[in-house]
Amino acid sequence: MTRISSKVIREAYKVSKLLPPLLRATKNLDLAKCELQWIKRELPKNKWTEAVIRRSNYEPLQYVLGSQPFGSLDILCRRNVLIPRWETEEWVTRLSDMIRQHIKDTTQLKILDACTGTGCISLLLHQKLSEEAKYKTDILGFDVSYDAVTLANDNLNKNEPSWSLEKSSVTFRKSNIFHWSLNDTAESFDLIVSNPPYITREEYSSPVTLEGVARSVKLYEPSLALIGQYEFYEKLVDITVSTNAKAFIFELGSNDQATYVEKQINSLAAGWKTKMYSDTADKIRCVLGWKKDTVWDFLVKF
Amino acid sequence: MSRFLVNPRLCFGSLRSGRSLWNNLNIKTYIGRQVAVPKMVFSGRLFSSTIPKLDHIEDVPTLHPLLVKRAEALTKEFATLEKAVANGAFDQETSVKFSNLSVILENYHRYQEDMGNLASLIEIIETEEDEELINEAVSETNALISSLRKTTRSLEARLLPPIKHSGKPAILELRPGVGGSEAAIFTKDLMDMYINFANHMRWKHSVISQSFTGQGSINEAIISIDEPGSYDKLRHESGVHRVQRIPSTETKGRIHTSTSAVVVLPKMSEGNESSLRDDEKSFQPGEVRIDTMRAGGKGGQHVNTTDSAVRLTHIPTGIQVQQQDERSQPRNKAKAFSILRARLAALEREKEIAEQRKLRTDQVTTTDRSDKIRTYNYPQNRITDHRCAFSLHDVEGCMAGSRLAEIIEKVEEHEFEDRLEQLIASAAA
Repeated sequence: MTRISSKVIREAYKVSKLLPPLLRATKNLDLAKCELQWIKRELPKNKWTEAVIRRSNYEPLQYVLGSQPFGSLDILCRRNVLIPRWETEEWVTRLSDMIRQHIKDTTQLKILDACTGTGCISLLLHQKLSEEAKYKTDILGFDVSYDAVTLANDNLNKNEPSWSLEKSSVTFRKSNIFHWSLNDTAESFDLIVSNPPYITREEYSSPVTLEGVARSVKLYEPSLALIGQYEFYEKLVDITVSTNAKAFIFELGSNDQATYVEKQINSLAAGWKTKMYSDTADKIRCVLGWKKDTVWDFLVKF
Repeated sequence: MSRFLVNPRLCFGSLRSGRSLWNNLNIKTYIGRQVAVPKMVFSGRLFSSTIPKLDHIEDVPTLHPLLVKRAEALTKEFATLEKAVANGAFDQETSVKFSNLSVILENYHRYQEDMGNLASLIEIIETEEDEELINEAVSETNALISSLRKTTRSLEARLLPPIKHSGKPAILELRPGVGGSEAAIFTKDLMDMYINFANHMRWKHSVISQSFTGQGSINEAIISIDEPGSYDKLRHESGVHRVQRIPSTETKGRIHTSTSAVVVLPKMSEGNESSLRDDEKSFQPGEVRIDTMRAGGKGGQHVNTTDSAVRLTHIPTGIQVQQQDERSQPRNKAKAFSILRARLAALEREKEIAEQRKLRTDQVTTTDRSDKIRTYNYPQNRITDHRCAFSLHDVEGCMAGSRLAEIIEKVEEHEFEDRLEQLIASAAA
């Protein structure tokens, strides 16, 4: 943990007496200034001090302010539900841009979003495909957590007024991925997306400098949404095969998980291609798979 | 009025005598937009008591011969363009050019016609014996001159080479110069002035980003004025603004001099998520380096950073743009790209101007942005623009945005004359 020099603290105090506590959480004067600016912009004046105190106790700013921008959307955030990450935003934007570029048939696109959390992936996909590009999409998101499903529905209600949900649909419901069976929905899907928990127990208990978890994540975000190794990917591949999906994209945290998915899909079904994707910070972030000789062949360029 | 109107085709015949008349009138200068004509040269009869006076005969507007030459060249261009259009060559560019040219030529023809009429009218006044006829001719001349003035002015503006990006909205960047915290306070005042001005003009505007120094005074502010064509008005504001006043931080009552730098850029794109794609496409791959300041570690679910700052580096020019005002990284990126494109467009324009200057043989005062362009003197309640030596004695009115337009108008006039002079000089070289 980097120590903040007293000089920086004095400098911060000169700007505003609300700034030094923020330094504790951000470790960086520029970022602390930005955060203070956002707190002042989004909260009424009588809540500033409380917000700064909460933040100085390592509470994520997204919980303090209650939202996080995600693509063109503003996603509500609350305790007990994982905050959307910029990495997720990046691949979802990339995916929807590529779908718009390569899939010309706009009549039907059924997407399943497993472990949806705030619902951010489902909602951004709907925004970018259905609202902006006139695809007819049916998106189903599910999560095991009651809080997550409630929040996802809140997010849906928040965005619904500006949408025309005539032909397309977004639905959230509470389901456990490990009890998930085809009977739950008798239908099939074209695409499975997911951002399942992927931090191993070992990583979860080590500090961020040793490939571990940041303090504010550990203290405030639900471990239910964070800890997982292979079990989620095993189940996700099962779902992919049993719902006749043509393609999938799963977020992940390590190479092992990617190779696991690769092995798993090839042992269960024939004719699948897979690809790993790294984010702009050059960390492995996703594994993609698609059935050969379908419209999803473009994913090779992801 | 129609009694003396001369057929434009015939008027060239009488123009000869008209020309000789002009020579007699001892035309002093073309550049001052109007021709100064000493009254004395007219025969006394024009100003005798029985005949109404020619009101504006001293400043008959005429077109500089160089502009006439340009108009003739444009006539030829128009003819070839017309042929091309008739042959079916039709696209956006030619149609715009075609309509532009036709407006110019329409004005030019009217000008020629009016000039011819004026010449013959003056001839009538000079030679006619019938008093009633002269009276009528004089009143007609007056009317003609005022219409001529309008035509000439619009023609002059159109005949000068167009200013690049003049139809675009604008981005204003303000930074304090010398003078410490007082400079920062003045920068804030200037920013308020431009916002007030935009409100006054009913222009849509927004603050793209602003950053503060230790004492809470402004370090940098970027404002976007979203009115198309506002760049053409505001570009004259580029430069160093100097303030002379007793700062609020001064305890001994001394007058300080501080400066603030204003840069006005043409806004090339909206700077939102939908314009980001086109902005990115307008650069070669590898031309712009995008840095995002992300924390180390494994990323993803392991950390939840709020750091959304984006820094763009344009490698060929070394221009850097950093944006961190928004919580969303894509939005910061879009804004940064919009500012980068604006800066590059301004750079290109500056280069062009510098090249044009190089062609000129005579020495001219530079209007570099390193020069101070304006002084705001609070104790004397005076704002002086150093380019056109115009002083406005109402600091408050200017800072409130209502009288800034007057100063800009004067600078515009000055620039117009400058450009005309430049055109003449470059043609002479």
